[in-house]
Amino acid sequence: MKPTGLIFFPAFDWAISPTHPEREERLLYTRDQIFEEGIMDLPQIREYKPRMAEKKDIARVHFCVPDVDAQITEAHLVSAGSSLVIADAVMQGEVKNGFALVRPPGHHAMTVAHGNRGFCNINNEAIMVEYLRKKYGLRKIAIVDTDVHHGDGTQEIFWHDPDILFISFHQDGRTLYPGTGFIEELGGPLAHGSTINIPLPPRTTDMGIHYVLDNLVLPILDEFKPELIVNSAGQDNHYSDPLANMCFSAQGYAILNSKLAPDIAVLEGGYSVETALPYVNMGIIMAMAGIDYSNLREPDYSPTRFKESPGNMEYIKKLVATQLANFRQREEVISRNRKEYKRMYTNYKSIFYDTDGIHEEQSTQLRMCEHCAGYRIIESSAQHPRWGLNRVFCLSVPTYGCPECQKEAERLYEDMTSSRSKYNYVYLQDKVKDVYKSMESALSLETVL
Amino acid sequence: MLIGIDVGGTFTDGVLFDGQAVVTSVKHPTDKQNLKTTLLKVLDDLLTVSTGGGISRIVFSTTLVTNLLATESGDNTALLLLPGPGLPLDTYHLFEHTFFLKGSIDFRGRELEAIDKTEVEKAVGAIKGRGIKKIAVVGKFSNRNSSQEQEVRKIIMKRDPQMEVAIGCETAGQLNFLRRIVTTYYSVMTQSAWEDFAREIEKALAERGIQTAVDVLKADGGTMPLQISRSKPCETVFSGPAASTMGAIALTMNPKNSVVLDIGGTTVDISLLIDGHPLYASKGATIQGHYTHINAFSVRSIPLGGDSPINIDQGNIHVESKRRGAAACFGGDYPTVTDVFNQKYQLGIGQPLKSTKKLTKLIKDTGIDMETLCKAVEDIVFNRIQEAIQKMFTEWENEPAYRVWEVVHGRKFNVQEIIGIGAASKAIVPGLAQRMQIKCRIPEYAAVANALGACVARPTLALKVHIDTQNKVFSIDQDGLSGSISAGRSFQMKDAKELAQHHLMEIAKSRGMEQYAGEAEFYLEEQFNVIRGWETAGKIFDIGVQISPGFIKEYQGVSR
Ligand SMILES: [Zn+2]
Ligand SMILES: [Zn+2]
Ligand SMILES: [Zn+2]
Repeated sequence: MKPTGLIFFPAFDWAISPTHPEREERLLYTRDQIFEEGIMDLPQIREYKPRMAEKKDIARVHFCVPDVDAQITEAHLVSAGSSLVIADAVMQGEVKNGFALVRPPGHHAMTVAHGNRGFCNINNEAIMVEYLRKKYGLRKIAIVDTDVHHGDGTQEIFWHDPDILFISFHQDGRTLYPGTGFIEELGGPLAHGSTINIPLPPRTTDMGIHYVLDNLVLPILDEFKPELIVNSAGQDNHYSDPLANMCFSAQGYAILNSKLAPDIAVLEGGYSVETALPYVNMGIIMAMAGIDYSNLREPDYSPTRFKESPGNMEYIKKLVATQLANFRQREEVISRNRKEYKRMYTNYKSIFYDTDGIHEEQSTQLRMCEHCAGYRIIESSAQHPRWGLNRVFCLSVPTYGCPECQKEAERLYEDMTSSRSKYNYVYLQDKVKDVYKSMESALSLETVL
Repeated sequence: MLIGIDVGGTFTDGVLFDGQAVVTSVKHPTDKQNLKTTLLKVLDDLLTVSTGGGISRIVFSTTLVTNLLATESGDNTALLLLPGPGLPLDTYHLFEHTFFLKGSIDFRGRELEAIDKTEVEKAVGAIKGRGIKKIAVVGKFSNRNSSQEQEVRKIIMKRDPQMEVAIGCETAGQLNFLRRIVTTYYSVMTQSAWEDFAREIEKALAERGIQTAVDVLKADGGTMPLQISRSKPCETVFSGPAASTMGAIALTMNPKNSVVLDIGGTTVDISLLIDGHPLYASKGATIQGHYTHINAFSVRSIPLGGDSPINIDQGNIHVESKRRGAAACFGGDYPTVTDVFNQKYQLGIGQPLKSTKKLTKLIKDTGIDMETLCKAVEDIVFNRIQEAIQKMFTEWENEPAYRVWEVVHGRKFNVQEIIGIGAASKAIVPGLAQRMQIKCRIPEYAAVANALGACVARPTLALKVHIDTQNKVFSIDQDGLSGSISAGRSFQMKDAKELAQHHLMEIAKSRGMEQYAGEAEFYLEEQFNVIRGWETAGKIFDIGVQISPGFIKEYQGVSR
C-alpha cells in the first residue's frame, strides 16, 4: 500500500499580526502532537519538503492588483507551493493521497485580488486545481469545502466552470462571515449546479454533518464522477473554535475524511489552536493514511456531549433534498440559460476585504459560448487605503476554452492596450495558451508570465 | 600522551598520540566474542611505547552495544507505556513484553488522566511472573511533565525494590514518543552488559597503573566519561563511523563542505561535512529498523570495499560484496577492487605483480581484455559510490522545513572536496574525485583516522529547553530536568537563553566537562506568543544550546 503524502508547514516565522488568529502559534501544538505521536516515522506517512509556487501558478488563477508581488509574501508562495508538491506526489503515484497541512490559508481569495480577505490573499486550492489541469490534463475536479466559513473565494473562482464541482458546507451566512453561501448560489448560467452550498444552522453536530455527507455530498460526487477530489479542510467546525458556533469533533472530522476519501486535502481555517487543531489534524492524517483513529479524541470529548436537535435535523433533511434536486436539474437549467441569455451575460457585485478594509466594485461579463464555458471580462475598481483607487480590466479565457473565445479575448486585450484607457491595468489570462499578460497603462509597460 | 582505540567490527585500531604526532599505531583483528580482550591487547601494544603513568587521556569507541542490539542479546526488559489518546496502541507495541497503562499528559504538560495504582501493581506482578527484572516506563509527553513516569517508578520500587527501572524523560526527553520508547527500552536492555564491560575496563586500567579518567565516544562524535556512560549505553552505538568522521576532520583541519569516504575492506562509509560540521541523521540513529533519540552522524554504508572480489560470470563483470580474503597484492586468492586499481593506475600497492597475475587469470578465455575489465570495475565502483553520495545530497536538500526562511533560501550541497580515509581510500578516492571534478585529500594516517578521531574528540552536550511562561514551567530534554520559573510576563528571549545556558553549565559540571561550556552555541531560538482572546497570556520558548563536536583544546593538528 502506498503511503499518504504530508507537508507540515506551520510557517513559524509568519503572522498577519502578533495577536491575529493567523499567527505563529497557530500550528505550534499541532506540531507538538504530531511530532510526539511519531506519526511521521510510520511507513504509512511520507513527509515532503515545501517549495515556493511560481508567479505563473498564481497568475493562472488570480488577477493580482497591481501585480503578484504586491499581493503576496513569501509565506503565501510556500503555502501555495506546498499544495503543488502534494499534487505532484499524488499525480506521479508516489503516494495514494496527500495532505498539505499548511498556512496561510486561501479559500476566501477571489479571482481579482486587491488585498487580504478573511485571512487569505491567494487561493491555494484554486492554484492547485489549475496547475493539475495544466500539468496533468485533468478536467473534472471536485472541491469539498469543509471549513465552517463559506468558501466564497473558491466559489467565485469556479463560478462559471462546469467542470469544477464546488461543494461547501458551513455555518449559515446569516450568522457568520463572509455572509454568503446560500442555497440559491448555484453557479453561473453555463455552470449551474456545479456550485452547491449547504448552509447549516449553528450548533450542528457530527450527526448533522454526516447526514449531509451521506445523503448529499457522496451521492453528488458519485454522479459527477470527478477525476480528483480535494478537501478544502478547514477545522473551525470544531466545538471549541472561537470564531464559529458549530459542534463538530475530531472523530467527526476523521470519519468525514474516511468517507470522502479525498485525493488531496489542504488545510484552511481553524483557530482553536490548543483544543481542536492538534486532534483534528491527527484525525485527518490518520483517516487519509488508513490508520485506526478510534483511540483519538480531544481531552474534554465525550460521545454524548452534543446531540443534534430534532428541529435542526428536520431543516438539514429539507436542505439536502432541495440541493440534490438542484444538482440533478443542472443540465436542464443550463440549456434553458443558453436560450434565455443573449451573447453576453452580465453581473454586478461589491466585495469587501475585511482584513485590509478595501471596497471593490466589480462587473463580470461572460460570453455565452456554445463550445466552451466562455471567456470573461471583469471590470473592477477598488479603493485601497494605501494605494488609492485602482481600476482594472481583466480578460480570462478558461482552461478548456474554444479558439473563438481565445481569439476574441486576445483581440479585446490588443484593443484595450493600444489606446488610452480609463483603466490603470489591463490583464489577459489565457489559460489555454498558459500565457498571462498585464499592461500598466500609465507606463505602457507590459509584463508577460 | 593520548590514546585512542576504535574497536570496530573487523579490526581494532589504536593510536598513541603525543599531542603533535602519532607516536605509534596498532591494528588487531577484533575478537567478536571478547571485545575487552581485543581492546586490552591493543592498549598493551601501545603501552610498550609509553608507560601507564604518562597517559593523560584514553578514549575508546566500541561496537559492544551495537552488537548486543543487533543480536538482541541484552537483558529481558518489560515496557510500561502510558500512551493516552492518539495513535492506536499497536503502533507502540514494538517489543514483546509491553504493557499499556492508564495515565495521560498533553503537550502543555497538563494531566488528562490519572494513573491507576492497582493497574501498575498488577503489571509489575505479571512482569515478575515472566522472570523479568528490568522495566522501562515511558509516557507520551512525559518530556513536558514527568510526574506520572516518576509516580509509576515509585509504585514499582515500593512493590519490588529489586526491579531496575528507567523512565523515558530521563533517557530521551525530545518530542517523539515512539523514539522515546525505543531509546529507553534499548538503554535498559543493554545497561548491565555495558556496566560489566565498563567495570572490567576500569579494573584493567588500574592494573596497568593508568590513573587518568577514561572517555567513550558517542554516536554524535563527542565523548563522555565512562562513568556517565553507565546510564546511557545506547549513546555509544555507531561510534565507529563517528570516530572515522572525526578523524577525517582532525587530519584535514577546517574542511568546509566535504564528503568523507571511509573505504575499508568490505564497506564504504559516507558522511558529509557541511561548513565543517558533520551532518546528523535527521531521525536519529536507526537501530534494528527503529528510529531513536540518539544523536548520530548521518552515515550511508555501501557493501563495497578494497577487498570486494571481482568476478566474471558469462561475460558479465561483477563486483561482489562478500569478502573472500585480502586483495591479491596482499597475498589473497581472488583479485579484488584494490587489485584492479593497482593494475590500472600502477599504484604499487603491496606486490603489484600479484594483482596483475590474478587479474590476468580471471580474464583468461573470457574474451575480455585487461583494459576493459579495469574500466568496467572502476565504473561499477565509482557509480555506486557516486550514486550514494548523490542520494545523501538529495536527502539533505529535501529535509522538511518549517519556516518560510528555510524554504525561501533552499539548500544546495556545494561539495568542495572529498576526504578519503580507511585502508583502501588511496586506491579508489583519487580516481573518483577526478571523475567528479573535485579535489581530494588522503591525509597521512588515513588508515588510523578512526582511532585518532576518538583520541582527540572533545566532549559534546546538546540540550533543548522548553519554557512555558503562562504555566511558569520549563523542561529540559536531558536527564529529565524540569522546574518552575518565577518571572511571568517579563520573561523574554534573553532570560530564556540565560536559563538554557545556566543548565548547560550545570550539566557540563556534573559530567566533568565544564572547561568546554564556554564553547556552547545556541542552535535554536524559537518563541511563540500564547494569545488567548486577543491578549498575550504568555510565551513559549524552545531554546537549543550545544557544545558541538570538536577537538580537545590541546589538539592543534598532526604536525609531524
Ligand atoms: Zn465551507
Ligand atoms: Zn474558516
Ligand atoms: Zn468558447
